[in-house]
Parts: sequence; C-alpha cells; structure tokens
Amino acid sequence: MSLGELAAAAGLRVLAAGRWPESAADTEVPALPGFMASSFSPLAAEAARRCLDAQPSGPGAGPPVTAVVVASALGDLAGAVRVARAVDGGERLGPLLFFQAVPNAVAGHLAARRNLTGPVVCVGDARSGVEVAEALLADGDAGLALLVLVEQSAVPGGTDRAAAVLLAPGAAR
Amino acid sequence: MTDTVPAAVRRGPRSVVVGGMGVLSAFGRGVGPLLGAALEGRAAFGPVGRFEVAGRRVDRAAAHPGRPLLETELDRAIGAACTAAGLSGARRADCPLYLAVHGDPALARAAPERRAGHSVGAFAAAVARRAGLSGGGRAYTSGCTASADAVADAASAVARGRVERVVVAAGYLVDADQFAVFDAGGALARDGRVRPFSAGRTGLLLGDGVAAVVVEAADAARARGAGPLAVLAGWGRAGDAYHVCRPRPDGAGLARAIGAALHRGGVGPERVGYVNAHGAGTVLGDRAEAAALLRAFGPAGARVPVSSTKSVHGQALEAGALLELVVTVAALRVGRLPVNAGLLGPDPDCPLNLVRGPAAPGPPPGGYALSLSTAFGGANTALLVGVA
Repeated sequence: MSLGELAAAAGLRVLAAGRWPESAADTEVPALPGFMASSFSPLAAEAARRCLDAQPSGPGAGPPVTAVVVASALGDLAGAVRVARAVDGGERLGPLLFFQAVPNAVAGHLAARRNLTGPVVCVGDARSGVEVAEALLADGDAGLALLVLVEQSAVPGGTDRAAAVLLAPGAAR
Repeated sequence: MTDTVPAAVRRGPRSVVVGGMGVLSAFGRGVGPLLGAALEGRAAFGPVGRFEVAGRRVDRAAAHPGRPLLETELDRAIGAACTAAGLSGARRADCPLYLAVHGDPALARAAPERRAGHSVGAFAAAVARRAGLSGGGRAYTSGCTASADAVADAASAVARGRVERVVVAAGYLVDADQFAVFDAGGALARDGRVRPFSAGRTGLLLGDGVAAVVVEAADAARARGAGPLAVLAGWGRAGDAYHVCRPRPDGAGLARAIGAALHRGGVGPERVGYVNAHGAGTVLGDRAEAAALLRAFGPAGARVPVSSTKSVHGQALEAGALLELVVTVAALRVGRLPVNAGLLGPDPDCPLNLVRGPAAPGPPPGGYALSLSTAFGGANTALLVGVA
C-alpha cells in the first residue's frame, strides 16, 4: 500500500504529498549541504520539500506543531556500507559521517528549515510510521505529522526512492 | 516557543504500569549489578578489547567482557522481563514487541543481494518470533531517543486501550563502526571518563546496554495477579527545530517534552524527587539540558536531585533510554538516588542539584522520577515513573 492508502486506512487525512523520483526528469537527487557520501538524507529532504511546498496555505494563524516521522527499512544503507568498509580497511573517517549515522539528522534538518517543533521519531517501515503519526496526532503531541519514507536500493545500480505525506487527524475523529 | 506544556496534550484513560525488567550492561546481566554501580557511582569505563582501536583518538568504553551477541542478549533480556512479569506463553502470544536498535548488525557487511533480508523490521520480527511474541513487531531507530519513543508509544497504546501490554526492548553493544564514527566526530571523552554537568567535561563514551520491560495496563496486571514495579505516569516528546545535531541552547524543546510528561501524569514539578538526565557529558548538550530543566521546573529546577547514570554505564545509543528507565525504576523502588559520577567541579552553566555521592537520601515516598533523553535532529523525550 502507498503512504496515502496506509494513512487513509488509519483514518488520517493527507494534506499534501511529494516524492522522488517523480518523473523521468528526476535523474539525480539534489545534494544537501552538510551531508555526504549517501543519498539517504538528500532523498528525504527532497521528498519532504516537495510535500511541504504542495501544502495548501492556511488562514495564517501560524504553523501547527508538526511531528517528523522518518521510516526506512534499511536506514542509511550507503552510509553504513561506507563506514563498514572504512573500518575494515583501516581508513580514517570524515567527521561528517558522525551525525549522519542516524536518520534523525535529516529530520532535524527539515525541522529547523520549516520550524517543525513536534516530536522526531524514526521507525523501520511505512505502516509503523503511519501508526506512530496517528498516535501522536490522537494524543495531541502534534497537530500535523510529516511522514517521510526513504528506501535506498539494496543492490548497486538500483533506484533510490523517497515519498512524503503531510498528515492531519481525520475529520470524523 | 515559551510555553512548556503543549495545550492539546492528552492521553487515554487507562493507567499504565511497568512490569518485569531484564537488562545487560557493562556490569553484567540483571538489574542488581547495574543498580549497585549506579548507587555507588562506580564507573565501568575501560580499554576496548572487543575490536581494534589503534589509530582512534579515544580507546575507552563501558563494555561487558567478551563479545556478547545482540540477538542472544535481546532474547535473554526479553525472557527475563517476561518471566519477572509472570507472563505466560499464551499471554506473550498476543503481545507486540517494540524494539529499538540501530539496525540489523549484519546489514552493512551482507552481500548486496542479501541486504533486503536484513531490514530492521525483519530483525525485530525475528526477535519477536524467538520470544514467542506474535502480536506484531515494530522497530525504532531514532538514535538516543529510540527506546524512549518505543516506551512512549507503548504507553499511549495501552492507555488508549488499543492493547493490553507491549514488550519494549532495546539493544546496543559497543561496536567498531559506531565507535569509529563517534571517534571521528570528536564526540568521545578524551580523558576516558563521562562527567555529566561537570566543569572540564570532554564528551561521551559508549556503553553496552540491552534491556526489556513489560508495559501493561494496570487493570490487566491486577487481573492476572501481577505486582507492577512502577507506574508509567507520563510521557512527552517534542522537537527543537534548531539543528541537525546540536541541541537548542535554551532547552525549549526538551522543556516542552518534560511539560507534556508532567501534564499527562497530572504531576507538578514539586512532586518529582529525582531526574535521570540525558547528561551525555558533552559541553553543549549538558548546558542545554540544564536550561531545559530550569525552564520546565521553574524554581524547583535548582532543587530537584539530578544525575546522569551515563556517568557509570556509558551511552547505549538506541538502548540508552530504556537502560536508564530500568535504572530509574530500580532506584525509585529502593528509595536511593544514583550518583552523578565523574564530577570535577561545578559548571556555572549547569546550576543543578547534582547527586554527588552515595549517601544522598532517596526520593520522598510517593514521589516521581523523570528519565530524559535527547538525540540528533533535536529529538527530546521525557518518561515519568512513580512508585507502584
């Protein structure tokens, strides 16, 4: 099921959505300053940017508290493989790999850029991400939840993908 | 961002308790050795022998002797927690597992065609299957707040009546890859000690932690005759919206997480008798956390006893929050306060009432304790526990 279908099944409204790649024109995910050696964080940032830019503008009462939930089955696979190879080969690691080691880092990037002050949570699959978002909204920890799904290709040469949805509590809740 | 309690924070009506606990730390298996070290302020840091550290800036961690396996230790901790909680095989069968780990340890070195089978979800499902927990699994990967997220979500689901109980488990064993990135980032303490909130602190040190707890509805525990270890009274989470890896200096995000936990628990700051702080031992992190405590507690923030048990067991990353919740619950039960070890002297930027020695009195009867965690990305969590 897509993120939108999972969200609908959980009784949530999808206010906006974005993904990468979206069309044949998406050949190279835009670089993200400060992040290196892996597409993981750039993918998350680009899908989230497209999602948030597609959000219909509200009445101007200020942004609601928005949670950031990142879901990924393999996490930053390219980064993890690079670190493992460097460790096994006795190479020195660059300091930037330090904060990239957890998916929270790009969530923090998004939160800082867009003033998203809700909880930051990372989980291992899309369904868990939707369930966590639903609970955060139901419990009032956030008024909206940005859910970003990131999947790098497990094999060399495959396509890396990311999708993002901005979720709100369902109308009937 | 000046308020410390999000206006809309609420919770389901059921009371939530912590049942059995199982743990492995650098001090060995079981809650007793860990609690003993925390109460005495006896740190476990020593030279790393588990993997090659030649060429690293720092060679220390708090590691259990030998080369424990994450899967085996998770199985043991979950088994210990379920047994201590008196959960029968049948009751385990409909119980979900929320597991906080960095990932499948085998992923980064698996052949490309086998990587898909090493997802963190598959790893969690395998742990659940071996433990006889067939109610579904969920993996949390949010760094140092991952296991607090798992506890908070378990508490939320139980409070809302979505589920009777959840087994929450977490594991991190000091490994060459994470050690290398933390060393490369200059995050590890150059003097080989973790000195939370102290003058002259130089950073964090990694430590082993594998823990499991049963989070259960109080009425369900009562109905099966189980005596809970503690009440999980409140939980709160909020983000800094500040930086990729630096904490917000004014502590406003963590203060809101604390406020949400106290609000859910219906507890005022004056009833909190102990705070197990995140207290990683970093200059910026400890300073921001002190600001958060003063912001959330008001005048009581300078009085409440505070320590970071990372000063003895180190930073267990994804498992840290759960390891520290175990220590906090155990300390609450014996009415004594874990020591903030490694203090060299006061830091004027951290004007907290630190627990300086083992003679400190315990929390007042009926008192509550908070366990705090923060992570990269500005993630902040607070868990509030009370005497059962």
